[in-house]
Amino acid sequence: MSFLEVRGMSKSFGGNHAVRDISFDVADGEIVGLIGPNGAGKTTCFNLITGFYAPDAGRVRFRDEDVTALKPYQMARKGIVRSFQKTNILKSLTVFENVLTGQYLAAKQPLWRTFFPGRSVVKAEADARERAEEIVRTMGLGARINAPASLLACGELRLLEVALALAARPAILMLDEPAAGLNSQEAKRFGDVLTTLPGGWVRSVLLVEHNMGLVMDVCDRVVVMNFGEKLAEGEPAHVQADPRVIEAYLGSGVTAAA
Amino acid sequence: MKIERNVLIAVVVVALLLGAVLRDQYVLHVAVMVLFYAVLASSLNLLVGYVGEFSLGHTAFLGMGAYTAALCATHFGWPMWLTLPAGGIVAGITGLVVGAITLRLQGPFFVIVTLAFAEVLRLTAMNWIALTNGPMGLAGIAQPAWLAGAGITEAKLFYYYVAVLLLAVTVYLSYRLVYSNAGRAAVAVRENRYVAQSIGIRPLTYALLALGLGAFLTGMAGGFYAHYISFVGPEVFGFPFMLSMIIMVLVGGKGTLLGPLLGALLVTFLEESLREAKELRLSIFGAAVMAVVLFMPRGLMGFLLRRREQRAEAVASIARPESVA
Repeated sequence: MSFLEVRGMSKSFGGNHAVRDISFDVADGEIVGLIGPNGAGKTTCFNLITGFYAPDAGRVRFRDEDVTALKPYQMARKGIVRSFQKTNILKSLTVFENVLTGQYLAAKQPLWRTFFPGRSVVKAEADARERAEEIVRTMGLGARINAPASLLACGELRLLEVALALAARPAILMLDEPAAGLNSQEAKRFGDVLTTLPGGWVRSVLLVEHNMGLVMDVCDRVVVMNFGEKLAEGEPAHVQADPRVIEAYLGSGVTAAA
Repeated sequence: MKIERNVLIAVVVVALLLGAVLRDQYVLHVAVMVLFYAVLASSLNLLVGYVGEFSLGHTAFLGMGAYTAALCATHFGWPMWLTLPAGGIVAGITGLVVGAITLRLQGPFFVIVTLAFAEVLRLTAMNWIALTNGPMGLAGIAQPAWLAGAGITEAKLFYYYVAVLLLAVTVYLSYRLVYSNAGRAAVAVRENRYVAQSIGIRPLTYALLALGLGAFLTGMAGGFYAHYISFVGPEVFGFPFMLSMIIMVLVGGKGTLLGPLLGALLVTFLEESLREAKELRLSIFGAAVMAVVLFMPRGLMGFLLRRREQRAEAVASIARPESVA
């Protein structure tokens, strides 16, 4: 049984085939990297899986349930939670408030309870606060817990983004270029945190990333895209040596010159 | 959170205590209007400040509440403690229906549609003479019977306490909403719609909740206004009320619970003290609003909060070098 299953997914904008016939799986407990040159269709793929775009063709199955083209908030309720390529957090709130807000689904109560809270609400709120603190610490933001998000450094912002996604208790966490803007040391630390997630905070991770060092370190499997199509798939070391992948990244001129 | 709650409680307590002191009819009238506007501004703020959608049609709910209360009182002889909730409920339902259609739009589109909706209701009130008596309005809305024997000051005092009660209800419900999981969801929608959806929030739900609650409270205020003035005409749907509400929310500070109360107090006093300036009044208001938007975009409360944050930051930046070392 496959955890997340993408089959034959396609999407075009006008005449431009952004994603064409993409299929891949993410197994339970796996960290899968989705890589490819700029414009290969990785983010479009993310948007299709999480319901921000509706696919022209193809299916998405999650835990043996067809979740194709559900609304983004419905996807989140199924356990598919994503981060965004351009930093997306709740800017005017503090780090703690961001993560607290992220626990919306877990802390949800019947509507009338909003105005007449009882013991169950008090408990849910206390739980959410405790868990928010735990997540902030896990992501290494403990020292900045009460800082306004607008004052965070770039590296801290990326960590907060992951923390916010984690707060929604995803089964599969989908991160779109989480290490963009991190220096190599920060990226290393980020990778260390990432590898601890499956089996604990989440079941699986699907990762779009340009930092190849990070991808090779943390991913169990890699899917390579180019011009909207799947180019290769396999273990990081194996894919890295694939001449088609090298050609996609560096161009064929390298081989000709050699 | 704690501070804001305590100040809100203090505001209501002070309003109650003032009732024991105020005896001047004019001062009482101004005080009642401050409270009335505080309810209006607070309820508009729920949508503008917490969901981040700007409604120019809030007078639709004010008018629905006022006409509902007036009609229930004159046709069915309902007492005030029934007509006010009735006005609120009718306005609230109107809000949910309008919202279910218009809140699918955002930004300027939503603004225009709400403005048009209030205008349609105003024209209806003008022309459906059989029900609303047209531009002549509904006059002679019954006062509670025992007030007939009491003096004018006692009557004003009675309405003052009703207004305090109305404000207390508004403040309580707003506070509960804002500091709940639902309130956080609304703020998430305001801050970033995409993030909100990616953590499982359906934006429409919380926009509707804020609009529905705001409409309910505004409708009750409308019912109160109908009884207090004892007259309702189509002008309750008009733009001047909307203008006052917007100015109060912006000047006081949207997205805070205290801001609209502060705004209502300031703007009502300013309006009263500028009566002598006549036509110039509106120009002065316009200049004041532009100044606030340009120099204090988060209003007076935002300005005060910012200063507190800056002080906290200064303290933090002194403390930080040690924690790094």
